[in-house]
Amino acid sequence: MPAGDGPLVSLTWQPVPGAPGALIYPLIRKIDVISSNSYVITTPEVILIVDPGGVPEQGEQLSRLIEACREEFDRPVFAFLTHSHVDHFIGIQSNAAFSVQKAVVFAVHHAGALALECGDRTVTQADILQQPLSPMKVGLRLFAPEREDHAGLPASLCFPNGAEITIVQDPAKADSPRLPHEQIRFGNGPALDLYHTPGHSPDSICLRIGNLLFVGDLLFAANPGVAGLTGWSQESLVRSLSGAERLVAERGVTQVCPGHGNVISAGDAARMFSRVRADAQSLSHIAELNRDRAVATAEYATDCMEQVNELFTIMAGRLAYVTYILDELGEAGMAEETAALISSDAIDELLEAFRDFAGEYQKISPSPVPLMLKAAQVMGKLERTFQRNELAGIIDPTLVRRAARLLADYITMLRGFTLPGERQVLDLVPVIEAIVTGLSLPLLSDEEILSGPDDEGAFSRILLSRIGSRPLLDEVECEVVTKDSPLLAWIDRDHFTDLLTYILEDLVGTGAGRIGIRIRKGEEGATITITGILAVTGARKPLTWRFLRGLAERAGGSLVVRQQDGLQSFEFTARAA
Amino acid sequence: MDIRTVHREGGTVLSVNGRIDTTAAPELDHAILQEIDQGNRKILLDFSGVPYISSGGLRVILATAKKLKNPGDKFGLCSLSPEVFKIMKLAGFTSIFSIYPDEGEALARW
Repeated sequence: MPAGDGPLVSLTWQPVPGAPGALIYPLIRKIDVISSNSYVITTPEVILIVDPGGVPEQGEQLSRLIEACREEFDRPVFAFLTHSHVDHFIGIQSNAAFSVQKAVVFAVHHAGALALECGDRTVTQADILQQPLSPMKVGLRLFAPEREDHAGLPASLCFPNGAEITIVQDPAKADSPRLPHEQIRFGNGPALDLYHTPGHSPDSICLRIGNLLFVGDLLFAANPGVAGLTGWSQESLVRSLSGAERLVAERGVTQVCPGHGNVISAGDAARMFSRVRADAQSLSHIAELNRDRAVATAEYATDCMEQVNELFTIMAGRLAYVTYILDELGEAGMAEETAALISSDAIDELLEAFRDFAGEYQKISPSPVPLMLKAAQVMGKLERTFQRNELAGIIDPTLVRRAARLLADYITMLRGFTLPGERQVLDLVPVIEAIVTGLSLPLLSDEEILSGPDDEGAFSRILLSRIGSRPLLDEVECEVVTKDSPLLAWIDRDHFTDLLTYILEDLVGTGAGRIGIRIRKGEEGATITITGILAVTGARKPLTWRFLRGLAERAGGSLVVRQQDGLQSFEFTARAA
Repeated sequence: MDIRTVHREGGTVLSVNGRIDTTAAPELDHAILQEIDQGNRKILLDFSGVPYISSGGLRVILATAKKLKNPGDKFGLCSLSPEVFKIMKLAGFTSIFSIYPDEGEALARW
């Protein structure tokens, strides 16, 4: 058995530091959204479980542990929930050892108790995580309003499992580090201190026994995909994090036990509380993360990843092309340096990891949350695989810009912010002509090349850019036709530029040698029709069209895509001004 | 991914079926190298069964183009899906080697 003063070890009994006679058995899981960590604590008087977790196997593991403890000598069992989200308890709902009346007393903050007893699928997140949920009896309501009138006075409570406890609310108010506090004593054993720490959810609590502090999901409450969950509160979270930081500093806490991930030292926890508080303070006015938003975000994640896949493969391919040409020119050193600007193997592995995850996960869970979070993880890593500024000086900068914008837009949406955009009245004709001109000219003109500085570094940059950036419309005849100039419409210029670039790229990429862009004023507004005859035909990915329709909405209009007899057309309509 | 190799009069055709991802790219590389080692220096890759190509796959194709540039060598791709053609086109590969609509047309031109 470990000595008790070192870091807690998973799946091992060890002393609880600062609580003589108490032992703890942590079940630390690999981080996921399905189930939390569990902790079992025994004293001579009681067996305590903190968060039984969200998967049945974990519940069975816990019931075997409890059975063994009770065989040693029988004691009452209490299961405390740090909060009533399903990933912290649903694993025991079908477990006989927990479901038999009177066997285990569930102890939950009274707000969570109300949700559990009526089977509230929203508050418990059963809805968003697509978990079945039955109403649950809560034997011990923590921070019950009826005890507020007797603050400081101990109350004795008896339970059907034979337990007798003493509970006191705010036992020493002046001593409390600003968090509502209750203390429970099970016989003569060590006290269990509870602190109300809302923010992640209204019913979140932290528990302290000896020098250990159990914090549930407090440390992740500002994370993308977690912040904004129904019941989340920025103001409460900031206050709770300050309180938890003080608890760690002033109550002799040496280790902090989170709901997910490894146990951390008090020093690390203090730094994390401070960082999470800063994150939380930046999250004003985020949208609620409910099931509808989770579904929409997961759908956007799938669409974004499809485009990210294509853009990153094209960028990596373009760079491979540049290094190929440099090799041919005998510039092996420069070829090697250029190849290092993008980690192609890492990109392939990340894109495949997402694809495999999406394929596997859709088979076993209808919940949109894991896919949404996996996409964020992959996009975060993708962002670190390419050197954006250097690449934009070599290959087509619109590729780099759109890839970067996709990654940033997804994280913005996941965090619950509105995507940046500003609709303004613009004359569509010069806007479109400028986009087409930009896609027809090389990155550097012949004049710029000839008048450039005459040193080796500058020559290398010019050479690389000349090889790597081929204007998209270089070999394509692109005609802009209109009879309605000027044609004013409400659009977001950046999103519209991206939309038109994606469309032109799609047509060029499928071999269209001639592209027509017709701009006209119709009954429904300003309409732009982009058409091309495809050299390569076949079934196309519907996700691309869904992505483009979403982008068209962000650009300020709507998009209709048609394909017939090799003729591909995109019709964008925006409100005329 | 699986690769079927057929030796025709005009050249060797490797018909690839499946995604060319990080696992499949080295397999494709190996299959092509085997043919080149045996002296078959007119290689046509039939991609009619390839829905996806990774950057690792693109590098294999570039490496092959590099190996088959002696006088008399031939290297090309045929029957590309729209998705794969788009990647090849926008990455700039279509200026390095030829892409044909189908096997018949490729071998007829060789």
